[in-house]
Amino acid sequence: MKEEILSVFSFYFFLGRKSGRTRTFFLLSSMAVLMALVIRAYRLAGHWTEDGQVIFQNFLMVFFLQFLIVLLGLFYGSSMVVEELDNRTLPYLTSRPVRRVAIILGKYLAYLSLTTVMLVFAVLLSYLILNLDAEFQAKDLLTVLRYSVILWLGLAAYLSFFSFLGTWLKKPILVGLAFGFGWESVIQYFPGTTQKLSVAHYLKSLLPQYTSSSGKLGFLFIRLEPTRPALAIIILAGIILVFLVLACLFFTYKEYLFED
Amino acid sequence: MSAVIEARNLSRWYGNVLGISEITLDIEPGITALLGPNGAGKSTFMKIITGQLKANIGQVRIFGQPVWNNRHIFRRLGFCPESDAFYEELDGLEFLTGLLSLYGYDRKECLDRANRALELVELKDASRRPIRSYSRGMRQRIKIAQTIAHDPEILILDEPLSGLDPLGKRRIIRLIKEFRDAGKTVVVSSHVLPEVEALTSEIILIHNGKILARGDIHFIRELLDSHPHMIRIKSPQYRELARLLAPEEYVLNITFEPEASAVVFETHHRDRFFNRLNELVLDPGLDLEEITSPDDNLQAVFDYLVGR
Repeated sequence: MKEEILSVFSFYFFLGRKSGRTRTFFLLSSMAVLMALVIRAYRLAGHWTEDGQVIFQNFLMVFFLQFLIVLLGLFYGSSMVVEELDNRTLPYLTSRPVRRVAIILGKYLAYLSLTTVMLVFAVLLSYLILNLDAEFQAKDLLTVLRYSVILWLGLAAYLSFFSFLGTWLKKPILVGLAFGFGWESVIQYFPGTTQKLSVAHYLKSLLPQYTSSSGKLGFLFIRLEPTRPALAIIILAGIILVFLVLACLFFTYKEYLFED
Repeated sequence: MSAVIEARNLSRWYGNVLGISEITLDIEPGITALLGPNGAGKSTFMKIITGQLKANIGQVRIFGQPVWNNRHIFRRLGFCPESDAFYEELDGLEFLTGLLSLYGYDRKECLDRANRALELVELKDASRRPIRSYSRGMRQRIKIAQTIAHDPEILILDEPLSGLDPLGKRRIIRLIKEFRDAGKTVVVSSHVLPEVEALTSEIILIHNGKILARGDIHFIRELLDSHPHMIRIKSPQYRELARLLAPEEYVLNITFEPEASAVVFETHHRDRFFNRLNELVLDPGLDLEEITSPDDNLQAVFDYLVGR
């Protein structure tokens, strides 16, 4: 099984590196770097006085957490089967001596690796650009590492959920958009346990609550009733696992037909 | 000889649309052709025997084992799908090595096998070109290369000759025959009778999801010969032509198309009709602009066979 997953992973990682979609999303991720450069220039001109750390944290909330990881998860995850159906390449995969579970897991890992590269590149570079003048300390490195891990967990969770949608639905993108940018954005501002029905809630629970009372983006933490970090990590891991298992089950037993 | 592929009462619907109905057959080593017009159920049958689709009723076994989700069978099977679909970003060699890696071969083995397959389909020179730059014939050949690269015992080829030029067709036909000579089982689908004739004499006629007939190609040829043919001739002297051919006993019916200066003959003996036509053409003053056969296709033969 391990060899089967690895062979699917290698093929799709290679395919992903050559695909136009990867180039597009890499450029999109690089927008964070571009924005960081603009802010940096603005600060050098004396128009922005806020600390680089604070600006980066705002960046993290708005661009990475609420936009980029959702978008990457959505477009890569939901394409898991639909892309093969639309391009009619599915028979090349399903007529090979590879278990269907291995196809899903191999593709998931390939897509997670590709999107992780995009994410880490954008996070590290934008952090460095925004904090170039500050005295860089080991704890800063730990901070950026912590952010990266939280974002990666979010990416893995979204990718898993959207992979499940991709194996289940014929047109997963619309449902995915509604979930990723509708449900996820709105439900986290509901009080009580309702907000716990979103991935973003657990990611926010892992972030420092620095803006809960002040700062430009403090509103993003309004009504957050954080889950304990350890529990948040367990729940995120559970989301990844459950939806991956569901995706594997659907792909193993469901029959996929071309449009005509 | 024992059957390699055994289908029992296979039926498959797409909603209310019938794909195939109660197909029972055994396929033995050698070349077997599925012949039928578009939409007859050939592709559905092939998708079921390659584990792409499940039958609603009935079962299919290859080497005595069920096919669906059976990776041990997939290792011994090569499938060439009908659709002109590829991972367009890849070049020919990458496409083949990528798919071969799914068999668990190491890098060197993948390269060796891919190169061997590329040589067989005569695409070695184009192996580093992106597939998106391939001509239709080259795309068809790379599709066949991925079918044979892992040296399967069974080849399922859905319309493998479509889109190929005559030379390309000859190459692929020769290759398929080599597989037959090596003792392998080849199932080929086509809706073009001459293509099938060039490949095998063992055919299965399929129409409206059912097997209409199975047997030797000569049987089909006989059916074809007794099938009344329509021959449309465009000529400025179309009335004169009709007058000359009308007395022939094999001319069953004549229809005029004055607006197109054409006449349509119905005959149940095409060869004799054309022999007489050749004689007439030699006569000075008779000028023929176009000769077509409006029903010279498999659909017409099937319509005739099923008595439509």
